[in-house]
Amino acid sequence: MKPSGVSVIIPLHERCDPLGPLYREYLEPLRAAGLDPEFLFVADPSHATQADEAEVLRKGGEPVRVLRLAQPTGPAMLTRVGASEAKNDLLLVLPAYRRIEAQYLPGLVERVHRGADAAFAARVGRKEPLPNRARRWLFHSLARPVTRNRFHDLGCGVAALRREALLETPIYGDFFRFLPTLMQREGFEVVELPAQQHPEDVGLRFYGPAAYLRAAVDLLGSYFLARFTERPLRFFGLIGLVLGGVGAILLAVLLVQRIGGVGIANRPALLLGTLFLALGIQSIALGLVAEIIVHLSAPTRRPYRLARLDSADSNDLPG
Amino acid sequence: MKSSSNDGVFRPHLSVVVPLYNEEDSVVRLVEAVQEALGPSSDWELVLVDDGSRDGTVARARSAEAQDPRVRLVRLARNYGQTPAMQAGFASARGDVVVTMDGDLQNDPADIPRLVARLEEGYDLVAGYRERRQDVWLTRRFPSMIANWLIRKATGVPIRDNGCSLKAFRRPVVERLHLYSDLHRFIPAVAAATAGARITEMPVRHHARRFGQSKYGLSRIAKVLADLLVIVMIRSFRGRPLHLFAGAALVALFFSLGAVVAEVVALNAFRPVKAEALVFPSVAIVWFGLAVYLLILGLMAEGAVRRYGRRVAGEIPLAREAA
Repeated sequence: MKPSGVSVIIPLHERCDPLGPLYREYLEPLRAAGLDPEFLFVADPSHATQADEAEVLRKGGEPVRVLRLAQPTGPAMLTRVGASEAKNDLLLVLPAYRRIEAQYLPGLVERVHRGADAAFAARVGRKEPLPNRARRWLFHSLARPVTRNRFHDLGCGVAALRREALLETPIYGDFFRFLPTLMQREGFEVVELPAQQHPEDVGLRFYGPAAYLRAAVDLLGSYFLARFTERPLRFFGLIGLVLGGVGAILLAVLLVQRIGGVGIANRPALLLGTLFLALGIQSIALGLVAEIIVHLSAPTRRPYRLARLDSADSNDLPG
Repeated sequence: MKSSSNDGVFRPHLSVVVPLYNEEDSVVRLVEAVQEALGPSSDWELVLVDDGSRDGTVARARSAEAQDPRVRLVRLARNYGQTPAMQAGFASARGDVVVTMDGDLQNDPADIPRLVARLEEGYDLVAGYRERRQDVWLTRRFPSMIANWLIRKATGVPIRDNGCSLKAFRRPVVERLHLYSDLHRFIPAVAAATAGARITEMPVRHHARRFGQSKYGLSRIAKVLADLLVIVMIRSFRGRPLHLFAGAALVALFFSLGAVVAEVVALNAFRPVKAEALVFPSVAIVWFGLAVYLLILGLMAEGAVRRYGRRVAGEIPLAREAA
């Protein structure tokens, strides 16, 4: 059986190609594949002009909905809003600019329809200038051990998803780029499908230092979230042990010297040792408070997700 | 709430919960051993929890499920680890008595009726301990001896073998346990701290591992220590964390005052040429700052207890009237 309806969510964020031609380019292969798509353009106030462009499509009778948010927000929230408003359970999230050749879109939808929770496109045969390639290589090789992900193209942003899977994955802010990894952590089946890169995606792009800083902070944040949300003391305790250990050693050396008759009243090492010890105690104390909160909130959380019941071989249940 | 027996849901007296991770060689024998130990009665169920196995575990568990309606399979969406798997089994178990055991045949299901009988003597939790453990001494038994001694001393719960999975619980205990992270190693301590459970232990048989790989190593010692610190703190201060932090703040304040005294002594006794070269005032400030920080943190923790604690506080400790 073919999927019939699919909701296409296009968050209007940062870069936007002219939406009219882009819409038609996306629409055509989906229609050709027998899908009946509705398009949701989601914009925050900073993209009012692009939302107006989409509004023109809607007034022209196209299956387009335009959602405007009153608050400025990031791609993660725009996508969530789109997902919660969508009419279909099958979603296709697309950037507002060309990443891959549109004929690969029905394949992604089809894969989710056949049972995956999410199918992300990975651009293959990429022609890109050296700086882009170096940047991508750096990001992915840093992200791989940190998030234990096996994905090759976190930056693509083209994906077909089950609505429930997207809504149940906690994404916010700039964590959007880790969506495949986060969904996998939630226990959803996430696959990556190759897709031909769009020629317009090839150009050289430069980002300011702020973008790199954000990526680095995200990486650190997702490392913490992935490893330590349920055991914060292991994180803060390690930091505390290292800092406090350095401080304790410094103070111990000074104590030995003092007993040996050397004055310590004007030794900066005394201050330094005290400072390190205090920082260590602070870190451990913070970890303990975090543990209290984790422990007390345990009854409200479920530390696992059950496998989906509608997987193929569930019919042989007795009775 | 749990379903009651009058809604048509089958509720056995005993639920046996077994987490499985890549145990395709053991599943069938395990099911047979449980069937043999518990007999033809229909008053028990076996809950197999598949923790995202990548081998044939699910297929074999499914066929066991198809052959015996008392066997149920609960599948986790991915590999989460032993504690979440056990918690999933608890959530799914319907019996008044819940028994947990390992899926690798190191525990003997023949011990289950003895554990249950002991439980019914008036305990909330019966923990098995492995007599004549069939493990390598240096890498397995020696570290576990130290760990158990530490856990016993730190938690005050006199259990000699926390690593043995074979345990029996009364249902109210299971409902009060909310396991996460790696807490399955400390179930008796957690049950004592959070539910006030009456706990005892008894010897059980232990077989050497026949199939598959052992999933532990020496590296877990640091993790066990961190978890232990957490449990001690939860036990002592989950009601009033401010007490702990205020005490620590007082100690920091004491050191701060000590530095002030040292400054006064140094100024008077040695008459240093340059008084501003002394570091004691700065040291006093650092300790004072730490004291303030700890106090604020304690207030925050107290707030968290008030905020989240209602549910926990609402869980009244277990009590039993004399018959």
